[in-house]
Amino acid sequence: MTRRAGPLLLILPAALVLTVFLLIPYFNIVLMSMRMPGNGVPYASGWTLGNFAKFFADPFYLEQLGNTLWIGAVTTLACLLIGYPVALQLARGAGALRGLRYGIVLTPLLVGIVIRSYGWTILLGNNGVLNRSLVGWGLIEAPLPLMYNGLGIIIALTHVLLPFMILPIMGAIQGIDPALELAARSLGAGRNTAFRRVVVPLSLPGIQAGCILVFVLAISAYVTPALIGGLRVKTAAVSVVDALIDSFQWPFGSAMALILAVIGGLVVVGFARLTRMKWVRAR
Amino acid sequence: MTEVSLRRLSKQFGSFRAVDGISLEIGHGAFVSLLGPSGCGKTTTLKLIAGFEAADGGAILFDGADVARLPAEQRDIGMVFQNYALFPHLTVGGNLAFGLEMRKRPREEIARRTAEVLDMVQLQGLAGRYPRELSGGQQQRVALARALVIEPRILLLDEPLANLDAKLRDEMRFFIRDLQKRVGITTIYVTHDQSEALTMSDQVVVMFGGRIAQIGAPEDIYDRPASRAVADFVGRVNVIAGQVNAVEAKGYRVSTELGDFVLTGTARPGQTIELALRPEAIGLVAGGDATVVAAAYSGGLVDYRVRTAHGRVLEAQAFPVPRFAVGDAVRLDVAAERLWPLA
Amino acid sequence: MKSLRAMIFGAYCWVVYAFLLAPIFVVVLASFNSGAFLTFPPQGLSLRWYYVFFDNEVFWRAIRTSLWVAAVATVISGAVGTSAAIFQVRFAGRGKEAVRIAMLAPLLLPEVLTAIALLFFVYGLGIGTKGMVGLLAGHVLVTLPFVFMNVAASLESFEPDWDLAARSLGAGRWARFRRVMLPMIKPGVIGGCLFAFIISFDTFTMSFLLKSVGTATLPIQLYDYLRTNFTPEAAAVSSFSVILTLVVVVVSEKLLGLKIRRF
Repeated sequence: MTRRAGPLLLILPAALVLTVFLLIPYFNIVLMSMRMPGNGVPYASGWTLGNFAKFFADPFYLEQLGNTLWIGAVTTLACLLIGYPVALQLARGAGALRGLRYGIVLTPLLVGIVIRSYGWTILLGNNGVLNRSLVGWGLIEAPLPLMYNGLGIIIALTHVLLPFMILPIMGAIQGIDPALELAARSLGAGRNTAFRRVVVPLSLPGIQAGCILVFVLAISAYVTPALIGGLRVKTAAVSVVDALIDSFQWPFGSAMALILAVIGGLVVVGFARLTRMKWVRAR
Repeated sequence: MTEVSLRRLSKQFGSFRAVDGISLEIGHGAFVSLLGPSGCGKTTTLKLIAGFEAADGGAILFDGADVARLPAEQRDIGMVFQNYALFPHLTVGGNLAFGLEMRKRPREEIARRTAEVLDMVQLQGLAGRYPRELSGGQQQRVALARALVIEPRILLLDEPLANLDAKLRDEMRFFIRDLQKRVGITTIYVTHDQSEALTMSDQVVVMFGGRIAQIGAPEDIYDRPASRAVADFVGRVNVIAGQVNAVEAKGYRVSTELGDFVLTGTARPGQTIELALRPEAIGLVAGGDATVVAAAYSGGLVDYRVRTAHGRVLEAQAFPVPRFAVGDAVRLDVAAERLWPLA
Repeated sequence: MKSLRAMIFGAYCWVVYAFLLAPIFVVVLASFNSGAFLTFPPQGLSLRWYYVFFDNEVFWRAIRTSLWVAAVATVISGAVGTSAAIFQVRFAGRGKEAVRIAMLAPLLLPEVLTAIALLFFVYGLGIGTKGMVGLLAGHVLVTLPFVFMNVAASLESFEPDWDLAARSLGAGRWARFRRVMLPMIKPGVIGGCLFAFIISFDTFTMSFLLKSVGTATLPIQLYDYLRTNFTPEAAAVSSFSVILTLVVVVVSEKLLGLKIRRF
């Protein structure tokens, strides 16, 4: 064994796992989306592009796709606005509480998604905690509709995905040399201006990474929209699973999944282009 | 007490010749410095000797035996890195024991030798500390101890004092040189700091662009530089032009803007030569046709800039007494022996 | 005295932390409900639903399944992810970014899509969801990026001079790996495996689509239960799972003194 070949052995297992269980299956999905739908069986022989046509021809699916993308975008924005200050505090703060705060941010990742979504159903229902408290305190007359609709999904998804926004931004801010802000102050910039013109732009790579991650995860989320949206509001991913598991329409389900992935991918690429930062050095 | 021999050693990175056919003989027990600016190939040469890089051409001999086939771990070298490279997960004792453990020494011997070397570097009692708990100077001494405790054939140091503050650097220079003399180990020291090289070495090897510009004792390098580049790099220097007038009995007569001088050596009449003159070799006497243009007091000495009657600005250095101020008229006194013709 | 601005900022952050903890807090509290229905605030406090849960073999079987799957997936991911991280940081050269993206791919691709892809794959191979091949493959894919990120992060702080120093002291490749590299990456490996275990334990979508008939992991069982059942038993099970996770994290942090790394 030459010295060159040795290190390659290290990547071999990962390469195998990714090729066999990721690459090939994904390629298979592309194939599957072009198969003929079957009657009573998952798929029939033959090839067609009809599955895609069926999707684009049906306003129901188009609206659902648009709805899903909308939910994704709003969730991303919410996570950004809510999460940025927290990321700032985590990156800059020091002291004993830091470990605790960091742990709290990680908690959603460590607690099952089912449990979290379940908690939201308890909180958001008409008879749920939030509404009962608000009504009980006399702040509102009728319960707010927070379940079984887009708003509830957005709230729950924001909760689920907040860590994915906070952590990359925190990382980016931690990498900013504190001397830069001081330099700005020495040049006459006030605290706010220095923050706005030095910290925020320099944290842009983290913001970009966080937004892309959250958006992608939001549009492809299954459990949370399924539990919160129930039968009334279904996002695209829920529809896909329905088509596959409940109605056994493998080709159509695959086509739907592919469309969702491609459109989502296009949005991400467009976003990355728009927010491209020329000054960022490639690592 | 190993002799090291480099024969037409070369190393390329892509099209860049980092080391371009250098040959060098290092006697046993000698302290040799590789001196040069960044990129001159001194660190690459060190890495080739250590075995971290493989040479493209030439040979490296330890006591006459070619070590090219030996990987670094088998060359029995001791190396001190610029940022010390102490293992953070091991204590000082653990770091020191590492090399001995690789050589499968018994535990009692390791303990004994570790204690001895800690004594040698004056860090007794710190065996249980971790590197992060030590100061920069202490870490440096641990790095030195780690390299010496294994009693290697040669000691290699890669700009070890670069990260220390000025006073510590001065102390460590003497410390390292002293230690090396006591142990008697052949040592190769890489630095870009010429005063380090001059104060510590038996021999200085000046390198530019992957090649050796001059090898010699510190005095040779400083007083008799082989080229203008060497003269410029090692200390400050004035280079003045001279015209050879006539050949004399033991040398020749040359006329310069500072006067006429008789120098030993050979030259052809009519030849134009360059002469190196160190600032401290220019004597300043009150009254003359040169003017002081700048004066910087640095404690024990004063650095002057003087404009000659011809308009040339020369650098001079003198004791603070007598002290001249900007604008004073001075005469420049130079002895012929202090003029060195450059190749 | 902190400025008003700092206090508002601090208070805002605490509100967000409360938001992050709210659902979990609610579930745990609801599990102590003494009544038969899931109300909040609880009508009274009692452990009765915990007793019901402890007697329920269905949930215990699901917990055992989850633990088993998580353990196997973690071992596999741990080995594969660690060696991949070592490769990426030390040996990948110009391919460094490409390897990184490839290893993070399962995280960036929709879990739902990956699960579907695996489903078709195992059916295509003829084994379907029998046996745990598909399920394990899915869990390995989901956990791999976390092991990789953790180990790679701890490796990034590895200085190449340490390796050179070890070589200069006479250490061969195996000795360097064992005595210098391994101790450095140990926190990263353990942290990554811990993360992987917990992620696998809690993952839903992958298990949902790839489970074989009759077996269920805990999240699946909980989900099933929630669709039809409205007693606080599910809350008790959930709380138990949360506490289990917490105990695992705290114990390993104390025992091994490591921090779970960010990605």
